[in-house]
Amino acid sequence: MKIKQQKAVPSIITPSAGDTSFPGPVRLGSGVPVYLLGKGTVDLLRVEFVFQAGQAFEEQHLAASTTSAMLTEGTLRLDAVTLNDLIDSTGAALTHSADKETAGLVTVTLARKLDEVMALTQEVLFAPSFPENEFRMLTDKRLQAFQTSRQKTSVRAREAFYEALCGASNPYGRITREEDYQTLSTGDLRNFHKKNYVTGNMYVTVAGRNPEQALPVLEKHFAFTGKEAGKKRMPPSVTFDTAGPGRIFLEVPDSVQSTVRVGWKGITRDHPDYLALQVATMILGGYFGSRLMRRIREEKGYTYGIQAVSGAFSSIGYITIMTDVANAYREETLGEIWNEIVKLQHEEVSDEEMTLVRNHIMGEVARAFDGPFAVADTLRGVVDYNAGYDYFTRYAETVKTIEPRRLKEVFNTYFSARDAYEIIAGSR
Amino acid sequence: MFILVSLGYFRFMIGFERHRLANGLRVIVHRDAATPMVTTNILYDAGARDEDPEATGFAHLFEHLMFEGTSNVPLFDVPVMMAGGENNAFTNNDLTNYYITLPAGNLETALWLEADRMRGLDLAEERVNNQKSVVTEEFRQRYLNQPYGDIQLLLRPLAYRVHPYRWSAIGMDISHIEKADAVSARRFYDRFYTPSNAIISVAGNVDPDEVFMLSEKWFGDIICEKVSKRNLPAEPEQDSRREMTVERQVPAPHLIMAFHMGARESRDFYILDLLTDILAGCDSARFPSILVRKKELFTDADIYLTGEADPGLVIFSGRLRNGTDIRKAEAAVMDQLQEVSAEHVTPAELEKARNRYESHRLMSYMSASNKAFGLAYHELSGDAGAINRENELYMSVTMEEITSASAKTFRPENCSVIYYLPSKR
Repeated sequence: MKIKQQKAVPSIITPSAGDTSFPGPVRLGSGVPVYLLGKGTVDLLRVEFVFQAGQAFEEQHLAASTTSAMLTEGTLRLDAVTLNDLIDSTGAALTHSADKETAGLVTVTLARKLDEVMALTQEVLFAPSFPENEFRMLTDKRLQAFQTSRQKTSVRAREAFYEALCGASNPYGRITREEDYQTLSTGDLRNFHKKNYVTGNMYVTVAGRNPEQALPVLEKHFAFTGKEAGKKRMPPSVTFDTAGPGRIFLEVPDSVQSTVRVGWKGITRDHPDYLALQVATMILGGYFGSRLMRRIREEKGYTYGIQAVSGAFSSIGYITIMTDVANAYREETLGEIWNEIVKLQHEEVSDEEMTLVRNHIMGEVARAFDGPFAVADTLRGVVDYNAGYDYFTRYAETVKTIEPRRLKEVFNTYFSARDAYEIIAGSR
Repeated sequence: MFILVSLGYFRFMIGFERHRLANGLRVIVHRDAATPMVTTNILYDAGARDEDPEATGFAHLFEHLMFEGTSNVPLFDVPVMMAGGENNAFTNNDLTNYYITLPAGNLETALWLEADRMRGLDLAEERVNNQKSVVTEEFRQRYLNQPYGDIQLLLRPLAYRVHPYRWSAIGMDISHIEKADAVSARRFYDRFYTPSNAIISVAGNVDPDEVFMLSEKWFGDIICEKVSKRNLPAEPEQDSRREMTVERQVPAPHLIMAFHMGARESRDFYILDLLTDILAGCDSARFPSILVRKKELFTDADIYLTGEADPGLVIFSGRLRNGTDIRKAEAAVMDQLQEVSAEHVTPAELEKARNRYESHRLMSYMSASNKAFGLAYHELSGDAGAINRENELYMSVTMEEITSASAKTFRPENCSVIYYLPSKR
């Protein structure tokens, strides 16, 4: 049989966040900021273009995500099939995305194909043609995905939370409806593109081995100046028509599980409590050793997973807990979530648990800076929300020094029962 | 042209050193000085194919139990997090794989933890019961509460009649998981979780000799218990088309077509992997261009390999545009597959697939954890060094081979079809 261990347990070196600094940007002749993130080990380059062109800038709902998705559906010079054939032949991958405030295009390419890929990317970003036929096909596909998402309890609960928090009529809270797909036209996309996809509203990150090699190539393809370049856009100020807190139930017929969400209005990145709230959320439900994971997954077995996150758009913050559970457990799950919150509001976190969460976060930060592609992802979060290049340095410092007493205050300030939204999506 | 491509590749080799302990544990180390972290990846040669057909889903349930602690470590995750690490695992039909990524200075903690749970897992009934409940919720969340989530559960028993690939790693049915108990868990542990049935692969900023020394220290005295070689029934050749229709609460019909093919180590795998890239690997591939854009039959049309160790499947999976007749859609897919069985793909298509393979390979081996798993995976089938020979295997695939492998594979009598339709109510 296997024998018992008799050796001394290895000692642990307290993890440190490591180097959490970012290089400042260099500028192309046209003024476009370019961040060069080096230390790669293979001959691949990741070049990302980010625009202030998310949903917050929409005049017509769905314009931001559809514009982004249509970029690779044809340019003024090339039809969709020819364009994609040229891109795919280089071996490069182009990935587009549009979020609440920004939209981005990531290209990953063999370094030796960079010039070819950037020439195509320039067309994709600045000379898309938005052809009618491709638009119709894309809309059908997106509509199908939308219809499928109506069956997903997790999607329904997420929508209801942001609608309650931000209001039904602004871009942060508005829920997409089937009619939105019919209303949108290629004219809306051209209009959205013209206003937002301009070099003045863009920054670039280059990550990989010798990122400097990309500078002359970028200069060659993205040297717009003058009127063409446009200006950086700022998210429009919106009024948040926040609903009163309380319980929302969404019927999703025949679902075998329910999604349970508990949420609160949070704070923005410039608030002095922002980093402390990040640590508090981590303790509650941000990692495998969190209070909620231990209680609701590991002790009760109600769920495969439960998470808590806090974050912020540029002018509103949010805190939310989410989990999928069997229909029969949803009330018990809510009860257990509240038990854990109340405990954190009344008892200080022990030194042992503080060490655990500190070490965990330090490891997480270190991994966020492990390699140039990871750094590029991390940097985007910082730049997009004006968090400051020292964000992770300040975060690491907060994690190291925050006291249990202060965390208790945070739990009392931001996690009150009085201000909470409780959302359940499932079958009755 | 292809020579240039190959040269680009040959500059990128994954170097490694290998050591075998007296108890049979294989240790592989790849040094990567560019990362401050290290990944220890431990692969056990036990997957869903090793399960009793009456108790499927067990290998995956057991993976959960591996995090439930020992007499030395009451909760596996706590020391990992204390050391600044993250860890996770997955189970598939062939194997179970665990990894820890942490700061390189804490390498020994990871090796200690892996040795500790190989040596003496706590398999108390209470822990087994709790994880049965977690896995049951996982089954519901990922396979039952998702539109189209049960396709794999339906396809496997249709395509396989004999081989244990006829069930998914999550299990055939929730009732199988509910039947598991501490006694069966102990039996599974004693049988499969032994040094000679495991490969540990370490990648990161570490010295190979130190890893070997620490492996001897922590794993060296775990007694070797011989694992009997698996003897699985071979799937007989399929001799007639199989068809199944289901109705679900979904907005659009979905078509699945699965064809039997060779094993992961066979030539078939490399040929068909490149072919499926030519057919559906990117937007300009044949299916998106013809079936989606030109004929407007599908909103999505994909084809991929299961890539399993024993003979696997090549699977077409497509969501239909509303209004398309599913039999007409199937005929159009079959036309496409017959075309590549009769006529060579073009040199441009082959070159595109090769370029894309090269990028993908570099991309996936940017991370030390992927390199660690890749080395362990290849060692399982005989030699970790095969990781550096795969590129050559891909690059040597010819147009003629693609045509003949297609003709052999895409025969109607080798096909299992699922019509997954919106329910009428």
